[in-house]
Order: sequence, then structure tokens, then C-alpha cells
Amino acid sequence: MTKVLDLTNLPDADVVALAQQGREHAFRELIRRYERPVFSLIFRMVRDRETAEDLAQEAFIKVLNHIDRYRPEFKFSSWLFKIANNVSIDFLRKRQLPTISIDGSPMAASAAEVEATSFDVAVRAESALEEMESRELGSAIEKAIATLRPEYRSCIMLRHVEGRSYEEIAATLDLPLGTVKTYIHRARHELREALEHLRE
Amino acid sequence: MKRHLLPNEIDLLLDAEVGFGVTPLKAHVRTCDECRTSLEEARTVVTALEHLPHLAPSPLFANRLMSQVQVFVPWHVAALDSARRYVPRSQPVRYLVGALAASMALVMTSLSLWLVTRADMLVFFADLVASRTREFLVGAAGNVLAGTFGEPALRVLRDSGLPGITLALAVVLTATVTVALGMRALVGVASRRRS
Repeated sequence: MTKVLDLTNLPDADVVALAQQGREHAFRELIRRYERPVFSLIFRMVRDRETAEDLAQEAFIKVLNHIDRYRPEFKFSSWLFKIANNVSIDFLRKRQLPTISIDGSPMAASAAEVEATSFDVAVRAESALEEMESRELGSAIEKAIATLRPEYRSCIMLRHVEGRSYEEIAATLDLPLGTVKTYIHRARHELREALEHLRE
Repeated sequence: MKRHLLPNEIDLLLDAEVGFGVTPLKAHVRTCDECRTSLEEARTVVTALEHLPHLAPSPLFANRLMSQVQVFVPWHVAALDSARRYVPRSQPVRYLVGALAASMALVMTSLSLWLVTRADMLVFFADLVASRTREFLVGAAGNVLAGTFGEPALRVLRDSGLPGITLALAVVLTATVTVALGMRALVGVASRRRS
């Protein structure tokens, strides 16, 4: 029997190489590493928990079932985010979803569903007042992100939530570097305007 | 710098870019309240974005996903895994098996090399075996012929050489085929009469 390695400290490329050898624990490790970032990106694009899970699943299946096609000169995460972004954009193109609030999906039919589809914003609060302010800002920014154009949304999420460089975002989204810079600039500007009321 | 910062210049400062062009921008921000306020507002947005949490899918997500992933094991990996099953677990036994395999390989290699150096001897023995086999087969066939057709027939066959042997073989073959066909026809007639 093959001894199961501890993969948590291995770089993505090595885990992918093990997955290409048909090691199931390597697939699970890739899912463990990226289920939250991918789900978060897609959720903030489509604003519906169930849909986001379905799309995240679709993105992972597309990537993991074609893991043999992965080329190590690219980052695995860039490939995964590219697929995740594509499935989200395709979904949004097919169904023009209304923009919703962080307080729950508009598709929710009951109070329980509203609660299930809403999410908390994690905060690092030093005091009750700061916690309240931070929470308010977090909620407001989630709402503001929801009003952005999908292309701006994916760029700003990759830049500031996933911490990707402009070059990586351009490669991930198949966009020219200048376009990525413009999108991020406009997204920041729109977010600043959307959050203006908090400063007053 | 006498004018206020442009939006793309604020972006440069937000991205903490360094370089020749950024120094005057930083200097301007230190002296201009309006630009400092703009930069701080932009920083607030960026900080809020950077503090957005990663959201978790349902706990069953990974298992549900894995049930739809086709884990494909390439043939060379499967072959290696199968081979590994036969490798002993304990280290002393592994060393022992390794030593045995190495000595076997050494013996086989030495034997092969020795045989290669003695190629002339191999050819001689092969020739000897072939001629003995031929003699044995010819003798056996002669005995069968002498027993069946008698010694004179064998003598005639020997004297006539290859054409005689070929003719005799053709006659025997024709006779065999004729007999076989005749037997088959008889069996067919008998079965038709019975039915």
C-alpha cells in the first residue's frame, strides 16, 4: 500500500504532479487549498450561495478532470481562477441577475433561507465602536462590490482579496495589462464613491 | 508640484510602487491636505477590500466534488504501484533480496559474456546437433519405408535422388487424399441410406 504523504507544505506544482499520477489525496489537497478562494470569488460575482457552490463545483470539475493538461509554467491557481471567472461570467451572461445585498439572496423564500444565504464579514475589531464601524464598512463594501460591473468585480477581487499582481490578473483573465489597470482604477473609484456616505 | 494628484497618480501610491516618479508625488501628499485626504480615502477602500474574508462553501462540498472527479491512474504509475507491492517491507529482507538479485544478475551477465567469447564453439556444437538430428530423421524415415515397401523400393528411391523422392511423395500424397475423399463419400452415402 502506498504511504499517504503530508501534502500541506508542498507547493501547488508538486501537488498537481501527484494528482496527475492519480493520487486521490492530492486532488483533495487542491480542493482544500482553493475551495474558499474560488467559492468567495464566484459568490461575490453571482451573489447566490447555491449557484456559487454549483459554479465552484463546475470550475473544479473542469480543472481536476483535465489535470493532465496543466502546464507547470503557469500557476495552478491562475488556471483555476481563470476557469472560475469564466463560469461566473458565462452564468451572468445567461441570466442577468439582479444586484443583491449582503443580507441574503433575493431568491430566498423564507427567513431561514435569508439567513442561510447571508454571510458575516470577519472583522479585526479593537473596540465595540471600531467593530461596529468595521462591520458597517465591510457590509457596505460587499454591497458596493455587488454594484460593480462583473469585469471590474473579478479584477478588484483578484487584486485585493487574492493579492494578485496586475500581470497575474492579466494572464488569468486574458486581458491586456492596461485594461486590467483601467478596470481596477475604475473599480476603486466607484467603490470610493459608493462608500462616500460612510464618511459623512 | 503645484497641481493636485491625478487619479492614476493616487493609484501609483496605493499600489506602493517605487521609482523615480513616485518621490515627488509622496512629497506633494505631505504638503497638500486635499490630496492627502483623497489618498487616505482610497486607502480605506483598499484596506477594507483586503480585509474581506474568504467565504466557505458547505462542509460537504469537497466530498460532493470528489464524487464527480475522475481520478485516472496512468499505466506506468499503476505498474510501479504493482511492482512496489512485491518489495519486502522490512529493510534486512529488502537488502537480502537485493543482494540475491544482484548476484543472479552478475552470474547471468558473466555467463552471457563467456558464451559470446566462445562463439566458434557454439557454432561447432550447433552444427553437430543439426547433423545428428538430420541423420536420425533420415534413418527413421528409411526404416519406415523399408518396413512398408521393402528394401528394393528404398534402394530405387535412394538411386533416383531428389526427383525420385519428390515423385514418391507426390504419389503418397495423392493416394492419401484420394483415400480420404473416398472414405468421406462412403460415410455420406451410408448416412443418407440410414436416414
